[in-house]
Amino acid sequence: MQLKGSHRFPASAHTIFNMLMDADTLAKITPGVSTLEATGEDTYKAIANVKLGPVSGSFSGDLEVADKVAPQSFLLKIKQNSKIGNVSANVQIGLQEVGPEETELSFDGKANLSGLLARTGQRVLSGVANTLTKQFFQALEDELSQTRQHPA
Amino acid sequence: MTNYIGKAVKRVEDKRFLTGKGRYTDDIVLPGMLHAYIVRSPYAHAKIISIDTSAAEAMEGVVKVYTGKDIADSGVGGVPCGWQINFKNGDPMKEPPHPLLVADKARYMGDGVAVVIADTREIARDAGDAIEIEWEELPAVAHAKKATEAGQPLVHDDAPNNLCFDWELGNPKEEVDKALSHAHHVTTLEFTNQRVIPNAMEPRSAIGHFDESTDKYTLYTTSQNPHLTRLLLCAFVLGIPEHRVRVVAPDVGGGFGSKIFHYAEEALMIWCSQRLKVPIKWTSDRSEAFMTDAHGRDHVTKAEMGFDKEGHIVGLRINTHANLGAYLSTFAPAVPTWLHGTLLQGLYTTPKIHIDLCGVFTHTTPVDAYRGAGRPEATYLLERMMDVAALEMEMDPAELRVKNFIPPFDGVNEPGYQTQVALQYDSGDYHAVLKRALEMVGYDDFRKEQAEARKQGKLLGIGFSTYIEACGIAPSAVVGALGARAGLYEVGQVRVQPTGKVSVYTGAHSHGQGHETTFAQVVADRLGIPLDDVEIVHGDSESVAFGMGTYGSRSLAVGGSAIVKSLDKIIDKGAKIAAHKLEAAEEDLEFADGKWTVKGTDKSIAFGDIALTAYVPHDYPEGLEPGMDFSSFYDPANFTYPYGAHIAVVEVDQDTGQTKLKRFIAVDDVGNVINPMIVDGQIHGGLAQGIGQALFEGAMYDENGQLINGSYMDYTMPRADDLPSFEIDRTVTPCPHNPLGVKGAGEAGCIGSTPAVVNAVMDALRPFGIKKDLEMPLTPERVWRAMHS
Repeated sequence: MQLKGSHRFPASAHTIFNMLMDADTLAKITPGVSTLEATGEDTYKAIANVKLGPVSGSFSGDLEVADKVAPQSFLLKIKQNSKIGNVSANVQIGLQEVGPEETELSFDGKANLSGLLARTGQRVLSGVANTLTKQFFQALEDELSQTRQHPA
Repeated sequence: MTNYIGKAVKRVEDKRFLTGKGRYTDDIVLPGMLHAYIVRSPYAHAKIISIDTSAAEAMEGVVKVYTGKDIADSGVGGVPCGWQINFKNGDPMKEPPHPLLVADKARYMGDGVAVVIADTREIARDAGDAIEIEWEELPAVAHAKKATEAGQPLVHDDAPNNLCFDWELGNPKEEVDKALSHAHHVTTLEFTNQRVIPNAMEPRSAIGHFDESTDKYTLYTTSQNPHLTRLLLCAFVLGIPEHRVRVVAPDVGGGFGSKIFHYAEEALMIWCSQRLKVPIKWTSDRSEAFMTDAHGRDHVTKAEMGFDKEGHIVGLRINTHANLGAYLSTFAPAVPTWLHGTLLQGLYTTPKIHIDLCGVFTHTTPVDAYRGAGRPEATYLLERMMDVAALEMEMDPAELRVKNFIPPFDGVNEPGYQTQVALQYDSGDYHAVLKRALEMVGYDDFRKEQAEARKQGKLLGIGFSTYIEACGIAPSAVVGALGARAGLYEVGQVRVQPTGKVSVYTGAHSHGQGHETTFAQVVADRLGIPLDDVEIVHGDSESVAFGMGTYGSRSLAVGGSAIVKSLDKIIDKGAKIAAHKLEAAEEDLEFADGKWTVKGTDKSIAFGDIALTAYVPHDYPEGLEPGMDFSSFYDPANFTYPYGAHIAVVEVDQDTGQTKLKRFIAVDDVGNVINPMIVDGQIHGGLAQGIGQALFEGAMYDENGQLINGSYMDYTMPRADDLPSFEIDRTVTPCPHNPLGVKGAGEAGCIGSTPAVVNAVMDALRPFGIKKDLEMPLTPERVWRAMHS
């Protein structure tokens, strides 16, 4: 399944990059994620409950941030297992400042699905992935405006 | 009075089916029965690093968990293959083990890894989810042709290039090459006959029961041939004595081939029950069915057909890669070879034919016989070639066929037709079926109507298919020489009860075919007794002596013939008793309308009286055994060869690419017909499945070997409103070599229809000048893209 898209945020690339590197923030804004624990530098253990179209499941697995070039880009490696099948994905994230306090986040990658997840409803999954992505971006925006109101 | 043959007698089995009283394997509940859930690989190719079953075993209600290692440690062999093909160089095909559960690595998504036995199905399933398996995912290959290329991952280490076998058939290749090089025109097509999933309405199920007190095993299973399952289970998998094993295939809700085979789950349930000493049931869910029922078709083919100036075929050269999946299912190697290569003569006088074929392992569900089995693939190839060739040579596709038809022959006064690809056709008048179909469709007017429609922007198309199939499977000595590891005769026992009622035990198995009606019609008709007086028993190895089951349109041609042999013995013996009772010579008697009559007199004795006399032999011929119970084996002299002509009329929506099947005409010759309603039903069902392959169905694998449309949300089945009211008719050319003159009707619809529909869509799209052949299924997206490319 192809994962590709972009979104503009009213913040600097630096701000966005730091937020994305912060496990607590990430756990808060990623749809379905209940736990995100750092297990090493740039590696995390994640637990998520996600409903993907016709199937829903509890996922657990590892996240890894690689090829970090602050504040421009990084590679997100995802490996999530569940009883309804496993997901492995590599997603390249890019941050480009398109104006003062305006950054375009772009992502491009591919998810490999297996098991029930692969053979049931896969054609509706890209729609679900879009919805989840939108939720993620919305949550990131909300988080940004909250940070602005209550700067740490 | 009791003239049943040829009558549309209503199906006697429908009383229980229509009232919800059918008894299927999953309906069977035995005292103390436990339930099994099989944990399967989510990956197409992956090494098992570790399995932790402790959490599952600790769950309440879980009795036991077994893994592939337990099976291997018990020394149990794998599931065997029933047909051997040799490489061109004479070496036997690669036949890697097919374990009941894998211990080392999974070779397709759905490979069984562990089995949980628990109090309920739900507990077993939850416990299955609690088994922790650490996998090392490996690269996989799903495409047959790609799998043979260098550097591709191997399914089995000892099968280089993933080749199970290579194989050829027909005239020497040089002769075909020469014919094609001298041809006036050569039509070339490269295409895929896509993989389809059988989707029987009833999912597979099995109950294994080892009774320690009697040392006997019973297997209830959704099988099309319980006796063969018993033989394979006992002699080849578990090594248990055959006489201690009873296999019952009760009511079975459709098979279409997918329930012919002996599956690992059947042996696994017996193996588990052997250890736990209680009955254990496994029933597949639909998702499991999509990935573990043997799939069908999946050929990648390049075909070249040469013609002379007048349009006579001069040669046919074929190269095919047939996908066999990850393991060899029971009849897998026979399907692309002896059930496919041998049908490439079609209805045509093609003088030179050569096929080169590779059977290929891939990281996919095993592929085996699916309704038609090899013959639809051959028909699709030939009939697409004929339509494309007609277009390229600017000839009429119907005329091109007629020009190449084998002339009529009845197989009695004229000999059978010897093909270039091993078979000898029994009898046929191929012109007659096409002529009738053309009349029915009104072909003379159709082209005018089509031209008018095109002017109005409507895309109307017509497509033809004239097919032949080899059915009534099969003469044992012939198939033995071709690699079958079984005989393919059938057994029919007729037991006349003292009151004149008749029980018939057949080795054929009915899972939708209506044998309880058709076979009873034959028996009642021959004995001149009411239909109600006949009972057909099948599907239980304890009551039926032996049998080879139902597939390959064989039940009536082979199974029915075995019953007729026994009926002849009954009538012969009855005549001896009647002669004694009537004080006449046996040769002065005639048997008709259920009684023996002394010719030219009114002295007669009824069948029932003779039956009673046979069991109460007080006044009885000297030296004659009492009783009236005969069993016969019938081994056919040849295959039977049903044939027909199918025509599809479609309209393609230019805006959406959607194909509307407007008319479907099928004229089939299945030899003599016992029950026309049942034959019509068989044709209708076959047409729906063949049309399904053309327009809707197709298993899709991604590059990791994941089946990505394994559910009814993702895999399109044909529905009633996709289909027109079929227009069907028949010609009758009796089979000359079996006593009923029948040829078989179960697969015809599925064999002829697919290319007719595709040809019709291509004809509709003609104004767009589409050069590239479209791949099935012809979804609106594919058709729309072709129109807009």
